Amino acid sequence: MSLCKTRLQEERKQWRKDHPFGFFAKPCKAPDGSLDLTQWTAGIPGKAGTLWEDAVYPITISFPEEYPSKPPKVKFPANFYHPNVYPSGTICLSILNEEQDWRPAITLKQIVLGIQELLDTPNPDSPAQEPAWKAFSKDRTMYDKKVKEQAKRYVNAG
Amino acid sequence: MARDTYLKKVLGDECFGRVQRTRVVMVGAGGIGCELLKDLLLTGYGEIHIVDLDTVTLSNLNRQFLFRKKDIDKSKSLTIAKAVQSFNYFGAKLVPHHGNIMDTNQFPLTWWSQFSYVYNALDNLEARRYVNKMCLFLKKPLMESGTTGFEGQIQPIYPYYSECFDCQAKVTPKTFPVCTIRSTPSLPVHCITWAKEFLFHQLFDESEISSMNNEEQIRNETDDVQEKENLAKEANELIDLRNQIKGLDGSAFIESLVVKIFQADIERLLLIDTLWKSRRKPIPLNFNALSTELQQLLHAKNNIISTDTKVWSVLENLFVLYKSGVALQSRLKSGKESFVSFDKDDDDTLNFVVAAANLRSSIFGIPLMSKFDIKEIAGNIIPAIATTNAIISGFSSLNGTKFFKHDYEQTGSVDFSPIVKESSTVFISIKPNKYITAASLVSPNESCPSSSLLSRGIMNLTNQELQENTLRWLVDELVKKYGYEDGDLSIIVGKSRLVYDVDFDDNIDSSLSELSGFEDGDLVLIQDENDELENLELYITVVNEPTTEKLPNIQLREKKAIKEKNEDEQGDSTIENNTNQDGTTMVIIEDEEDTDLVMIAEPASKKRRIAGEEYM
Ligand SMILES: [Zn+2]
Repeated sequence: MSLCKTRLQEERKQWRKDHPFGFFAKPCKAPDGSLDLTQWTAGIPGKAGTLWEDAVYPITISFPEEYPSKPPKVKFPANFYHPNVYPSGTICLSILNEEQDWRPAITLKQIVLGIQELLDTPNPDSPAQEPAWKAFSKDRTMYDKKVKEQAKRYVNAG
Repeated sequence: MARDTYLKKVLGDECFGRVQRTRVVMVGAGGIGCELLKDLLLTGYGEIHIVDLDTVTLSNLNRQFLFRKKDIDKSKSLTIAKAVQSFNYFGAKLVPHHGNIMDTNQFPLTWWSQFSYVYNALDNLEARRYVNKMCLFLKKPLMESGTTGFEGQIQPIYPYYSECFDCQAKVTPKTFPVCTIRSTPSLPVHCITWAKEFLFHQLFDESEISSMNNEEQIRNETDDVQEKENLAKEANELIDLRNQIKGLDGSAFIESLVVKIFQADIERLLLIDTLWKSRRKPIPLNFNALSTELQQLLHAKNNIISTDTKVWSVLENLFVLYKSGVALQSRLKSGKESFVSFDKDDDDTLNFVVAAANLRSSIFGIPLMSKFDIKEIAGNIIPAIATTNAIISGFSSLNGTKFFKHDYEQTGSVDFSPIVKESSTVFISIKPNKYITAASLVSPNESCPSSSLLSRGIMNLTNQELQENTLRWLVDELVKKYGYEDGDLSIIVGKSRLVYDVDFDDNIDSSLSELSGFEDGDLVLIQDENDELENLELYITVVNEPTTEKLPNIQLREKKAIKEKNEDEQGDSTIENNTNQDGTTMVIIEDEEDTDLVMIAEPASKKRRIAGEEYM
């Protein structure tokens, strides 16, 4: 519990000092006017030169009480179009999985960069939703079209 | 002979005198508490406070020997204080408190400060962490103890001189995705969760909808249409079976159940190719092949069910499933119960879950487990063994008296270095290789969130001051008092709510009473954003009269200096351990042929010590 809050403030401080270009991340305001360090919103810019470019994709990050022993839960909006994103928006990424590659030393910066990387390099071996996964493996033209349509919707986000 | 003759001999007159004059608190009056209070009382403590929020229940009576049937539903702390009066030979004053130890109204910091020693006899992490924190605040010695089945340990904690409760990370339970449990288990715990939360729940419990059959969750986790359909079919068939329970006779019910869940469901699962690309395929149970042997077992007199610690074979599990399934069916048939909920102490329900979990494990090539081990997992609760509690309580009270060999109370000193050297943690395990291990205390973990790079103190404010003073005032006061460079500090209240840092000054003109997190008993964490000064934790105390010292009069140490000092000290203690090795780790094993305790020192030493010397 104590470790969780000192670590979260440390993440906030590190992010403030230095964060990758085009990204944003901030804790949510609680009803009492304080900042809830366990709930963050962030924006992931699509890499230039990929289908995902020119848009910033919003995510929410929730840190459990056992953080950093346990990883945060990271979500895109529901029904986000990507082969490794569940219909609920939950992102399927090994560094966010307690049973796989999560380590307490992984920083917020590494998480958002990992998600940016995932956008254009989906993992076909861990499908999380049917539409994007099917299109990605069987109908690439359709997939590209859908991704670009989605990018247009997030042009002004963030 | 006087009752205190031996105590005086063992403790020495001086130490025994101090014990008699002192006031201690025991937090928790359950399994360990019942044993420990007896020990503390017979050690001669002058005044013992007892805190517990629970009332006595039937399931306590098998091991909490100070409680009787007539005590059910009565307050544990009040009952226990009365129960020991018949052997209160030294006339100790017993003060019971019925309440939650974390309630700052009932137990403010000033209440804690009256005790010279704190004995924990708790069963949950949250309360343990809290008591640990209070002892760190007040620099009070704490004896932490706990048992898990046949294992247990005690850990004397001398704040900032030895490891605190938070210095070692504690394991927290993991949660599993529904689809792993329902379609692709790979660990015993997956099968146990399935047997308890899905199978048992759908068949016998009150509501037919279990969390393991949550459509939305399943939809979120898998988009495999086949898998989704399959899971729905499985659940519907189970509900059909449930509806027939009262109409079917015992053997017909069990047979349809077994054939469905361990044969047909598995065969259907095998049809979904995508699931088995990179996994071992399950092998359905062949009920026909086993039925003759099962019949023989059913007709023979067999008490396999009572062998808790042995791992049953597939056939034996089938037999247990049959027996417990029929028992549960007849309970529902009799009409006395309209549903049966899982309860680890209800043997029919536990046997059913153990057998079903193991049968499923065998299908998926997962190791089977004993009833004892499954009970621990399925009950989400550590089985309590009276013997372990008794041994651990003995070590707890015995080790606690070491503190009173010193004159800490008179001198008011909180330099615990001498006592730390004399104390040890003790681990016991009475299964399967019987042994007791003791180890010397270790310095606090450098990265411990509770005891390293942190100072603590009390902030005294009146209600009026809380209303009149703003957050800006607090920031200014903190900078003035502790010297944060450029005023670059952050303030976190509650579990993780940030009220101020240089980039977030929205609340700067709010009064402290307007902000939540500054009430009596609240904890506030101040951190230096430049990373130079150690962290500061403040305990808010609302006082009646304004004081001149609102903030604690301490000097915050530089993080760099603390780290360097720790490195130096660690160097020293390594050398010390090397030269003094024969006394640091002791192992007691039980001799197989002779039940007397034989003690060996580890690593091999020249000197043999007797238990009394080491543990007093
Ligand atoms: Zn610690």
